[in-house]
Amino acid sequence: MSWDKTLLKQAGEIIELYPQKRSALGPLLHLAQSKDGYISDDSISVISELLGITEVQVKSVSTFYSMYKQEPTGKYLISVCKSISCEINNSTEVIDKVQEFTGLNNNETDEDGLFSFEAVECIGACGGAPAMQVNYETVEGINAENVFSLCSWLKESAPEVIVADEMQENFGGIKSFDWAIQDNTGATSTAPGFQTLKTSKVKK
Amino acid sequence: MSEVVNLNVNGIDIQSDSKKLLIEACEDSGIHIPRFCWHKRLDPVGMCRMCLVEIETPRGKMLVPSCTTQISDEMIVDTESDVVKKAQEGVLEFLLINHPLDCPICDKAGECPLQDQTMAYGPGESRFVEEKRHFEKPISISEIILLDRERCILCARCTRFSDEISGDPLIEFIQRGNKTEVNTFPNEPFKSYFSGNTVQICPVGALTSTSYRFKARPWDLKSTRSTCNGCPMGCSTELNSSQNKMLRILGVDNDSVNQGWLCDKGRYNFEYLNSETRIKTPLKKLNNNFEEVEMQEVYSEISELIKNENTKVNFYLGSNLTNEDFVAFREFANSISNNDNKFYLNDDVLFQGFFNEDVELGKIDDLNNSDAIVIWAEDLKERLPVLYLRVRQAVKNGVKLIVFGHTNRTLDDVAEIFYSDEVVSENFEIIKDLTKLEDFKSLIVEKNVTAIIGKSTPQQSDSSINKLFDFLNSNSNLKILNAFTKGNTYGAFQILDNLKGTKDFVNEINSENTDLLFVVAADPIGRSIYSKQVKKVFDEIKTVVSLDNFKHETSELADVIVPISSTLGEKNGTFTNIEFRTSRIDKLVPSPGQTVSDWEFITSLMNFSGLSNNSYSLEELNTKAFEDLDIELKPYFDNLDKPSNLDGIINRTTPKIATSSSDSEKVNFFIGEKLYGDSVTERNSESISLLGAKKFIEMNQETVDKFKLSSGNCLLEQDNLEINVSYTVNNILPKGTIYIPTNRRELNKFDFSKKIMITPSRVKEALNVN
Repeated sequence: MSWDKTLLKQAGEIIELYPQKRSALGPLLHLAQSKDGYISDDSISVISELLGITEVQVKSVSTFYSMYKQEPTGKYLISVCKSISCEINNSTEVIDKVQEFTGLNNNETDEDGLFSFEAVECIGACGGAPAMQVNYETVEGINAENVFSLCSWLKESAPEVIVADEMQENFGGIKSFDWAIQDNTGATSTAPGFQTLKTSKVKK
Repeated sequence: MSEVVNLNVNGIDIQSDSKKLLIEACEDSGIHIPRFCWHKRLDPVGMCRMCLVEIETPRGKMLVPSCTTQISDEMIVDTESDVVKKAQEGVLEFLLINHPLDCPICDKAGECPLQDQTMAYGPGESRFVEEKRHFEKPISISEIILLDRERCILCARCTRFSDEISGDPLIEFIQRGNKTEVNTFPNEPFKSYFSGNTVQICPVGALTSTSYRFKARPWDLKSTRSTCNGCPMGCSTELNSSQNKMLRILGVDNDSVNQGWLCDKGRYNFEYLNSETRIKTPLKKLNNNFEEVEMQEVYSEISELIKNENTKVNFYLGSNLTNEDFVAFREFANSISNNDNKFYLNDDVLFQGFFNEDVELGKIDDLNNSDAIVIWAEDLKERLPVLYLRVRQAVKNGVKLIVFGHTNRTLDDVAEIFYSDEVVSENFEIIKDLTKLEDFKSLIVEKNVTAIIGKSTPQQSDSSINKLFDFLNSNSNLKILNAFTKGNTYGAFQILDNLKGTKDFVNEINSENTDLLFVVAADPIGRSIYSKQVKKVFDEIKTVVSLDNFKHETSELADVIVPISSTLGEKNGTFTNIEFRTSRIDKLVPSPGQTVSDWEFITSLMNFSGLSNNSYSLEELNTKAFEDLDIELKPYFDNLDKPSNLDGIINRTTPKIATSSSDSEKVNFFIGEKLYGDSVTERNSESISLLGAKKFIEMNQETVDKFKLSSGNCLLEQDNLEINVSYTVNNILPKGTIYIPTNRRELNKFDFSKKIMITPSRVKEALNVN
């Protein structure tokens, strides 16, 4: 077993939530993603043992969903939407800008492990198109200029927790909705920030 | 509840069971709907879309996949409309986009559903000019199975089989979309006892076996239907040969027995037929060397002995003979003037069984129809693999499973209750009061129970299983399947009275009561746990005649070896399985060299020595085997060959088994056999020869710690015997109990009633067991 005690304890708590052990597969894969930045074969073996299913069954699920990464990702995973609403609102420019800043092609990670970049399909923020995500925290209404400053900010201040509202305030533009609640919790890894999985944290 | 519904397919009115799927209902009425992913014995998934048909709905005609559509009353279906045709063409065009055109070198070509259905339903022309997707081809996913992912059409038959039927899902879809492939986890091969079935049900040539690869084309094959004689399950098989060489065995869907499945041993343990080392001429020992002699000489020498009234003859019979062979031996024994001959079966675990008149014997199908299944026997997965599949199937259908004992760990995942060492002691005695096991009682009292009971290990006492049996018999509506695990044991039970096992053989046979011993198709010295004692007996006896295929530890001690035909494909006869179902064993290839069937040899010998005036024909032996049965339809060849009886005829008898009962003794070592071993036939079957070669023992983690083992290997020592083995951790075993698989050469040579020293490899720090 290559998972440490805290992680195993956390895994145990997640498994407890479900009537059937194997239902915890998805969350546990997120957990593995938050630990390593990708789903390693080691993690697969651990999960298969925890859930009593075979390793290849875990592998099958983990390769099916694109949010479980097969290769190590950088500290910040930048996903820019390329679907129709964003495309109409010039997401291509945003994509070009990100690529220019990071020097990455689609689905690549830079050498120092800071950035990973991907162009993705709809992330459900058409009202604020073009939209993008950093570690699955969404920023809406971005453009070629503010995406540049967003990337610089990430590089320079290297925040531990990525909070959507904070990015929106500093770099975003038009929003789909105004939720009217300030949310200070954000993602701490390239796994989406879930409170139950403890992959999120409150930014102080 | 199921009811009969009426539906109209292509203008024809048909009736079917409302529980059925549309594709099944059509199939039953003779309307074929093309399909790739749907398989009668697997859950439907609707992956391939080949079975699209049109049905009438309130919103007009609609295309639906017939394999996932339940039928309903007054359904109107069209399987041949233009729309359906167009859909089929479209689906095939999609399937062929990435399918390579390597039919000329593909094993499946000629019997390939994709090829056939493309001919029948395909578009005729391809519009695809782009590059097809490429994979390394083929990759081996286990020692015996190869996978060509380019040919795969993603029907999920193999992955569903391994998940739903055999319960060892070691292959799965990896990736998705056009990158989807079937594969194993890296370094975790498809090590399944049932992997050969995936090759058989693969609708393309994606899965192939190393055994049959590039050996023949389907249109060159000769085939016949037969019965596997590997274990008492008696699975229905189809034997395939080309140019008089047996090349392949397929499972035949016999609804009441194997439902199309076979274990890999049954499927691949035939290659020894073509082995170079097979004995093809009679051999006689002269000055400790075997020399080839004429069959005539063998007959005359043995008949000299038999004619002498003082010669005392006994028989040690292998369990994979046909019923007709057994009859020949019985008739032979009866005709010898010194008529006190005894038959011993090559079985260490033979015991009385439960065959009294007041016991209701179960059928395999009863597993599905009962409320609960109780198992206390040898590892079913190792010894009766297809029965293991049937048990899993029954549990999937909602039957509750209760397993006793340290065996059958592989059923743990589906068992409602698994009683290990808190109920079953390390001596295989039930230590709890059964009436106080409330969970157990709630599942069996007043319920329909099918019990599979046999001895988990040779040293287990009779009284321990009697106790469980008595409890079940008096508290539930019990049907019983006796778990004997060797070949045609049930045929022997039917035909030979007062049968005994190896243990009685070594206790009873000596030079005083035996001058001439026939050892038939058996290698007790190489395989039995009574190996040493058997050897002692053999050394004492004046003349030993061995009827066998190979030279091995036992036959090499004989004075004469008569080469015999194999029961697998080289002779005709019948086989009786665990539910006393008798079915045909059929001949497909000629016997090599001077080999003869056992019955031929014995009846000729009778003729030669003047014991009988006429020589028996096979038909006469077949009649003699069953003429005393008190049933209407007897399993004579004539009856068995009728199309309605191809699945076999059940004939219940009450066998008389004369084994002495064994008392409770301390079990130092838990002895069993794995599916694969290194018996002489396995050693000579190339594709499986290495699967059972590894010598290992099993114990739980505590025991490993007790012996201070850490390297994965240890040394077993007893007297002059030293064997290096690896050990694996099996935590279902009680503390201190050590499992030793004895169907590996040398591991059976220990005296299991005495101490065996276990030490870490090399470091010889002796630690005493027990």
